[in-house]
Amino acid sequence: METEAQRLKAAFHYTAARLCEEVAEDKGICFSRQAIAAVSEITFRQCEIFARDLEMFAKHGKRSTVNVEDVKLLARRSNSLLKHITQKSDELSLNNLEQKEKKKKKSAAKKGRRNSNEHEEPVAIVNEDSNMA
Amino acid sequence: METREECAGGFKKETVNKLLQLHFKDDKTRASGDAVLLVAEMLKVFVREAAARGARQAQTEDLTRVEVEHIEKILPQLNSQCFECCPILVMMNL
Repeated sequence: METEAQRLKAAFHYTAARLCEEVAEDKGICFSRQAIAAVSEITFRQCEIFARDLEMFAKHGKRSTVNVEDVKLLARRSNSLLKHITQKSDELSLNNLEQKEKKKKKSAAKKGRRNSNEHEEPVAIVNEDSNMA
Repeated sequence: METREECAGGFKKETVNKLLQLHFKDDKTRASGDAVLLVAEMLKVFVREAAARGARQAQTEDLTRVEVEHIEKILPQLNSQCFECCPILVMMNL
């Protein structure tokens, strides 16, 4: 029987292998299976180092939850990596803000027409059935 | 509930979260959603960087196939330039 850790490793390896194939295609070169396994294994071990460091950073900040700032600290050694991660982080927070706005609008709208539009749901169900047939 | 494909083609948020959880020493340690997504991005960059450098190494040797030894050769670069020092070479039994 597979343990949880083994399943995680398999999922990890699958994605790492796919990313390697992408690079191979870009560069017009191929990777031996062992080379892909090596890249995957190195990255897996790197992930462990990441986790340990992140935990320490959070602890240093007297928190039990790792946040975005901790990850930025992890990326500090390479300027280009730090820039890339900071940019991603900004995108994420912008995305979250938009998501929140949408939710606000949605729930406000829902409250407004809850009583008048109750027939909406059954219509949707009928549509689904016809798609399946 | 959350079906946002933040890391299309990269590592899944759930996988990375569980991996982090696995390696945290303290069971109480958690990671915020955005932090997990950023770690997933870091891992993706790491894989691509390792693969690209391995490919370049093979190409400088006029080969069209990347072998383990090419990856071994570029390991020190990965550790010193981008990421923290780590005795990966010693740990790898390849």
